[in-house]
Amino acid sequence: MKNVVIAGYVRSPFGLARKGDLARVRPDDLAAQVVRALVERSRVKAADLEDLIMGCAFPEGEQGFNIGRAVGLLAGLPLSVAGMTVNRYCGSSMQSIHIAAGQIQLGAGEAFIAAGVESMSRVPMMGFNPLPNPAFAKTRPGALLGMGDTAENVARQWDIGRQEQEAFALRSQRLTAEAQAAGRLDDEIVAIDTGKSLVTRDGCPRPDTTAEALAALKPAFDAQGTVTAGTSSPLTDGASAVLVTSEDYADRNGLTPLARVVSVAVAGCEPEIMGIGPVAATRKALNRAGLTIDDIDIVELNEAFASQALACVRELGIREETLNIDGGAIALGHPLGATGARITGKAASLLVREGKRYALATQCIGGGQGIATILERV
Amino acid sequence: MTNGKIEKVAVIGAGVMGAGIAAQVANAGVPVLLLDIVPAGAAEGGDRSAIARTAIERLKKTDPAPLMSEKAARLIEPGNIDDDLARIGECDWIVEAVIERLDIKQALYAKIEAARRPDAAVSSNTSTIPLHDLVAGLPETFRLNFLITHFFNPPRYMRLLEVVAGADTDPAQAARVSRFADERLGKSIVRCKDSPGFIANRLGVYWIQAGVVEAIDLGLAIEDADAVMGRPFGIPKTGVFGLADLVGLDLMPHINASLAKSLPPADAFHALNRDLPLIGRMIAEGYTGRKGKGGFYRLNTANGGRVKESIDLATGAYRPSARADTETLKEAGRDLRALFNAPGPVGEYAWRVMGRTLAYAAGLVPEAADDIVAIDDAMRLGYNWKEGPFALIDRVGAAWLVERLKAEGATVPPLLEQIGDRKFYRVENGRLQFFGLDGDYHDVVRPEGVILLEDIRRRSQPVLKNGAASLWDIGDGVACFEITTRGNSLDDQVLDALDRTIKLVARDYKALVIYNEGRHFSVGANLGLALFAANIAAWGEIEKLVATGQKVYGALKHAPFPVVGAPSGMALGGGCELLLHSDAVQAHAETYAGLVECGVGLVPAWGGCKELLVRWSAPGKLPHGPMPAPAKVFEMVSTATVSKSAAEARDMLILREGDRVTMNRDRLLADAKARALELVEGYTPPERVEIVLPGPSGKLAMMMAAQGFHKRGIATDHDLVVADGLADVLSGGDADPTVPAAEKDVLRLERETFMRLARTPGTLARIEHMLLTGKPLRN
Repeated sequence: MKNVVIAGYVRSPFGLARKGDLARVRPDDLAAQVVRALVERSRVKAADLEDLIMGCAFPEGEQGFNIGRAVGLLAGLPLSVAGMTVNRYCGSSMQSIHIAAGQIQLGAGEAFIAAGVESMSRVPMMGFNPLPNPAFAKTRPGALLGMGDTAENVARQWDIGRQEQEAFALRSQRLTAEAQAAGRLDDEIVAIDTGKSLVTRDGCPRPDTTAEALAALKPAFDAQGTVTAGTSSPLTDGASAVLVTSEDYADRNGLTPLARVVSVAVAGCEPEIMGIGPVAATRKALNRAGLTIDDIDIVELNEAFASQALACVRELGIREETLNIDGGAIALGHPLGATGARITGKAASLLVREGKRYALATQCIGGGQGIATILERV
Repeated sequence: MTNGKIEKVAVIGAGVMGAGIAAQVANAGVPVLLLDIVPAGAAEGGDRSAIARTAIERLKKTDPAPLMSEKAARLIEPGNIDDDLARIGECDWIVEAVIERLDIKQALYAKIEAARRPDAAVSSNTSTIPLHDLVAGLPETFRLNFLITHFFNPPRYMRLLEVVAGADTDPAQAARVSRFADERLGKSIVRCKDSPGFIANRLGVYWIQAGVVEAIDLGLAIEDADAVMGRPFGIPKTGVFGLADLVGLDLMPHINASLAKSLPPADAFHALNRDLPLIGRMIAEGYTGRKGKGGFYRLNTANGGRVKESIDLATGAYRPSARADTETLKEAGRDLRALFNAPGPVGEYAWRVMGRTLAYAAGLVPEAADDIVAIDDAMRLGYNWKEGPFALIDRVGAAWLVERLKAEGATVPPLLEQIGDRKFYRVENGRLQFFGLDGDYHDVVRPEGVILLEDIRRRSQPVLKNGAASLWDIGDGVACFEITTRGNSLDDQVLDALDRTIKLVARDYKALVIYNEGRHFSVGANLGLALFAANIAAWGEIEKLVATGQKVYGALKHAPFPVVGAPSGMALGGGCELLLHSDAVQAHAETYAGLVECGVGLVPAWGGCKELLVRWSAPGKLPHGPMPAPAKVFEMVSTATVSKSAAEARDMLILREGDRVTMNRDRLLADAKARALELVEGYTPPERVEIVLPGPSGKLAMMMAAQGFHKRGIATDHDLVVADGLADVLSGGDADPTVPAAEKDVLRLERETFMRLARTPGTLARIEHMLLTGKPLRN
């Protein structure tokens, strides 16, 4: 089978939904700028691209109309490049990468753009017409539970107290602020032209937050609970894209592969504790790669909530020094459909930067799922 | 052109008054430039307009809100006097609201004179400096265009505007500003002479000072003093001490001193204006009133408690507030003479304060005002008295007042001598008349274009009437339906009158206006009746009332003539539903409308749910699909949202495109009538429509949201029960999105759900609590 590599990664700055700099930017326009930049920076021949696979958690409204195809056209990709939209909620754009990898190994193409986008400003979570099935709600009430409630459940079941969550959130803010200050995020960011200004910096981080400020927040989902806005990822606008090719193709065409895809997995779990989804998915992926967690040097674990991230860290035995070393979603934001490509692309680029061998990117998914990708430096 | 339109205004001075005036100009939809000085020590490259900018930010956060909408806030442009004064050349009216110092004002006027357009009006918001001093030494071109416009705080809510034109002021310019202030800013203009304190404060300050001094002298508790000064005289229950707390104790010595300085030596104010060590001490300690740590009253929150306390005027110490001694007041009832004559300190206090205040008022004509109407208007609109001093004198009897004044050797104002045993106001041939200085009675003349039901009532008989409502002929083929119950609440009698009205108007009139001159358009259905019926298990009666309401409101909407709802104040629940079933709404800017039924554990059931669903489902309002409209209505109705202005009611679609807002309360009926007449030609009643509703899945989505709020502790247990009922109605029950629902389907759901909820103990407890306390029960 062909080896599959990540041969490029870019993203837009992430902005706070509704209040941030990207709130007035249509998600398709946003993603198109990111995709165009990926093609330019990676120097892939656009005509060689087989497909643009776009992850999006709520593909309706401005994110509808098969946004994958729309973005390809908006970005000026050749008409020959196809476009599709993938929905696995928060795992959407990591799934895009998996689909690309699978297609390559199937011999159904050599080069793909796996991208993701979400404007949580412009398309609300649950969409404009939430119409859940009442019968299903009776038999499986947990499947429709709010994400915050699932985070509370995880906190209770894994006995993760508020202080521990806040320490984790503070760590995320600190690492993000350090990375931002040192310019370590600059290379991955594509400046976004909003029509009025150029947005170049992430807008969500709160570098000045303190333990006291976090401790003063009210619970955000349950008056008796422990999860606050400070220990949750904020509603975010953003887009990301990675170039997925066969290793042969990358070599032949003088691209710069960052990492090889070693194994991937998805797994389901109890919807009520969806935040624990990365555990089963990661174990499967490690197993398929013939590795253990101790072999992993770089971990990008999406921080949907501090409680679920901590539970996964504990269950999987992730070492702190490997975890989200440039910070995570609590500080940076979590534009649902865009996160998977961000953390996979980030993990690949960190392998290069840090000179490490194996990386894991994994995330939880609403409805009770996890998704994981294991990478190896080329 | 000094009679041209005012299309842009500048306000100079961004303090509480200046910013408040700017806000009201913006509320009228008129752009306004707000200027203040460059802050001392403004850094190089720093914000030189920071003072005005901060003032605008403060306007957005102040409660009660000076701004009626977010849009209004965007109409205020901040600037500073150093850099932007030239821009007043863009403005038709320049309002000066800077510190009360003659030298500063005059220096500013010189700059204004150089920068303003030749036809621009300039006015000062001074409350203490006479106009002749303000313009002394200034060029004639300035004096010609200058006047005083004295607003009351807060400028959005206080309806009085005192206007003083000087000897040199061009009457056309004064009229131009007055017309703008009346029609656009909604103010009632009272023309004042250029005399100290003008009218309202001249009399008001006298009254407050008398109230404080006499309470101290008589050893009266402040609760008792305020109880005497409040209700019996139709004065807000804050009385004297509560009002002083509101105004700010620290202002009192300044106002008193400035007034004393400019009043003639013989003025009765001097006798009252003595130094009060208690107030001096309170100010020094930060007890400046509600804006400070407290005033004569305070809320003691020490030890986690919330105890209302009052100051003891003798010792200066706080003690828990007591219930006022109202025995004397009860005995006197509405008879003011009996109150003045009552033995004991309460009667004595009433006389010493109010008897003298009335006499003082009689002495202000013609010194401060041309006629008694100006004085009464000023006190009604500037101090929220129900009746002005001359109307109060009529209640006491002028002759009696004169006799009592003489008995204690007080000076009797000539006007009181002159009137003898006659009254200051009388109704002659259906017209309200007042007693003039010439000894004759004259018609009280309303400003041009004002129609008041009050006047129509005096000169005509209702076309139709029962114990709860009347129908009036307001001319030109338009009828006016007036609710007359307490709070204009709605009951079967109102519905019956409305039902008969619809038939009568269809036969004899062209159009109908729904309007009244109560404080509130309607507070909604009469809950007392509903609770009574529930307590005797008269469910059939309740169900009948709900069904009748739906029928009558439906008939109103589909009547063969146009209907214009003209609300002012609260339009809640069934009152709001009246507006929702009107063809058009002509709203007073101060309209507070909303469907609040969930607050008492019910759902809107006179077609309110149906109407809002139809409005929010209209194309272009929200994203496509069956859910956005019900979700939006659910959000508004489940939280019993009430608009804080007509502008907000428009955002809620209680007002629709084409519906208009009247700024001046007194012009509401005339505007509503004009609107109704506009609709007459070619009028066709609205057709019944179908609504796409989401059915059970939509209900589930709404309840998921409600349960989230419940978990967060924002929604209560019974809120969830009520929300469940509301979600049933708004989702259309068993509706399927592919089969549009008829209006009658939603009406049936409204009725069924209302009846189901009415039987729950949680709802009955809410209704009972609301009736007892006037506040919602959060069970």
